[in-house]
Amino acid sequence: MSFKDQLDFIRQHLKKNKLRVFMTVLAATMGCAFLIVLASVGFGLHKTLTDEMLDTQLINEVQIYGKEDQSPVTADDQQKMREMENVNAVVSRSYLEGVTSITMDDRTGYGDVQLTNLEEEEKANLALSEGTMPTKPNEIVIGYHFAQNLLTEAEMNAQSDEEVSTGFTTSMIGKEISIELTPLNEENNEPKTWDFVVTGVAKAPSKDWMTDQRVLIDESYRTEFQLFTQPDVPVEESYISVYVYADGLQSVKGITESLKAEGYHVYSVTEEMETMDLFFTVLKAGLLFVGTIAVLISSIGIFNTMTMAVTERTREIGVMKAIGANPKLIQRLFLMESIWIGVIGTAIAVALSYAISYLANWLIPLIVMNIMEEDGMEDMGITISSIPWQLVVIASVISIGVAMVSGWRPARKATKIDVIQALRQEL
Amino acid sequence: MIHIQDVTHTFSIGKKGKEKRVPVLKNVSIDINKGEIVSIVGKSGSGKSTLLHVLAGFMKPESGSIKVLNQETAKLSESEHAEFRLNNFGFIFQNFQLMPGLTAFENIELPLKLKGVPKSERRVNVEALIQKVGLSAVADHYPNELSGGQQQRVSIARALVSNPPIILADEPTGSLDSETENEILILIQSLNKSLGITFVIITHDDEVANIAHRKYRLHDGALVNGGALHVV
Ligand SMILES: Nc1ncnc2c1ncn2[C@@H]1O[C@H](COP(=O)(O)OP(=O)(O)OP(=O)(O)O)[C@@H](O)[C@H]1O
Ligand SMILES: [Mg+2]
Repeated sequence: MSFKDQLDFIRQHLKKNKLRVFMTVLAATMGCAFLIVLASVGFGLHKTLTDEMLDTQLINEVQIYGKEDQSPVTADDQQKMREMENVNAVVSRSYLEGVTSITMDDRTGYGDVQLTNLEEEEKANLALSEGTMPTKPNEIVIGYHFAQNLLTEAEMNAQSDEEVSTGFTTSMIGKEISIELTPLNEENNEPKTWDFVVTGVAKAPSKDWMTDQRVLIDESYRTEFQLFTQPDVPVEESYISVYVYADGLQSVKGITESLKAEGYHVYSVTEEMETMDLFFTVLKAGLLFVGTIAVLISSIGIFNTMTMAVTERTREIGVMKAIGANPKLIQRLFLMESIWIGVIGTAIAVALSYAISYLANWLIPLIVMNIMEEDGMEDMGITISSIPWQLVVIASVISIGVAMVSGWRPARKATKIDVIQALRQEL
Repeated sequence: MIHIQDVTHTFSIGKKGKEKRVPVLKNVSIDINKGEIVSIVGKSGSGKSTLLHVLAGFMKPESGSIKVLNQETAKLSESEHAEFRLNNFGFIFQNFQLMPGLTAFENIELPLKLKGVPKSERRVNVEALIQKVGLSAVADHYPNELSGGQQQRVSIARALVSNPPIILADEPTGSLDSETENEILILIQSLNKSLGITFVIITHDDEVANIAHRKYRLHDGALVNGGALHVV
């Protein structure tokens, strides 16, 4: 029997009992849709958290916070790291201590003053919103929000009346900034001032709520500043953090592993992601398991429908066998019928699940927002439910597989029908 | 063409443990030649249908050998036997056994579908046959829209459609009035003459049996006169 004729045969049978087939497909649809929607919550939350993590953290950054043997990370060590594969840049940063004021003309402000290697920073993807990277030691780069808190005295007074000042709003490029340092020891606390010229302003951070108030000074000042603020502490012992920048997220894991092997204490986003991925893998598996139970329940419907179909058609099956239909063909026809129910149910379920998922992502934040009477939920970009193609594949395999298994026994039963008994049945 | 040799069959009936053994066929031997119409007559319960079921392969006899077209059919597996039936046997049943969901045309077409004959070829064959059995006017009727005689014509056409060398008929006119019975018998005779098809007809009705070239009589599962031929 040709495949097309087999399909015709099935279609003709399905048409004969539309309502029953419809109800069975409906049950299969509900089971499969429940499975997909339930698991989609696991996928959605995983996606939200991963995106959040990748958005707010520098994903290609590997932080080195020391060595196992407590010795400092030397310039030589850093050079070796630079030569590692897939490493774009190695930056050593230290916070400047003893800053007592930062001024520009008649304005005063505050900032995170850091000593760093600006060449390496650039390789590590320090992007500018305006200006250029410094070429001379006394040239500096400032954070995007730094100018906002450079205030005049009048502005500062006004701000205490709860009027937020926007600070310095015109371009900072070429402006001179004076940084006053005071030694940290008690006896000698005569402050001293250094002047720097702003050549570049960093790009705004990726998120609205993050602020960048950095003042990045070339690391050649490190010794000079150290001798001034803490002359009794050797330069090597000042707290320097080293950051390794990979050429992409995919190489972070490898770099992290090899640095660990070399005895460094490191932290990178992959560490955190691995823990999170593990958690969500377990969660998703659990949700899929619960969803599969729904599919199994719906499969009882398929089993019943197919058993009834076989019983109803006992005489017809007997006639088919009598005139020469192979028992294997009969088994295949019935199996195909239950698979058809499974396939249609799954197809509808997939479409339905996407609709439900879309609706949930739109509606639930709206409802929560209304209850909490808070704005801003929508731009947090929370995905509650997400249906990646993998989930569609898993759910389809489960529900079509279950449909097949539940159609198996009725189909076997059909092949076992005794021709003589079947022909004896009354019309 | 058909050699039935020493076929014996016994049914066990009743509850397990206290089964009664009922011998239904006792050393039945029949030879049927190509192009013959052979009838097997006997009273109700004499074992006629059982003999046909064994011959068709619907069940296996307890002992004895059945050779059809030099093939020892009792040795075939279920699948092989189905295949063998599809190629070599046509069937006509007392209560027609048509598919209620298929039209007359589609019912006749069914064996060809099972054989995997392409649609266009099926069409030609079935249409020719519908003409031959005189069903052109009702080809698209469903079985419940046909008279008994028309239904039996459909079932005869279905038996013929794949050109089998042998047609087995169990009480082919048992559900028909005598006028319709005559029509069907004439049709069978003409098909036998024109196509040379071998017919094995089971009946308890002597009038039907009389169209046969040879007649066997079963009594309590054994051939009367040891199978001596009754030439009609
Ligand atoms: N499956 C079975 N189990 C037990 N006994 C059976 C079975 N089928 C038939 N018999 C018995 O075998 C005997 C022969 O039955 P069979 O159907 O061959 O008779 P028949 O000659 O065709 O009769 P009829 O003319 O009424 O159709 C009967 O006595 C019947 O009771
Ligand atoms: Mg009978």
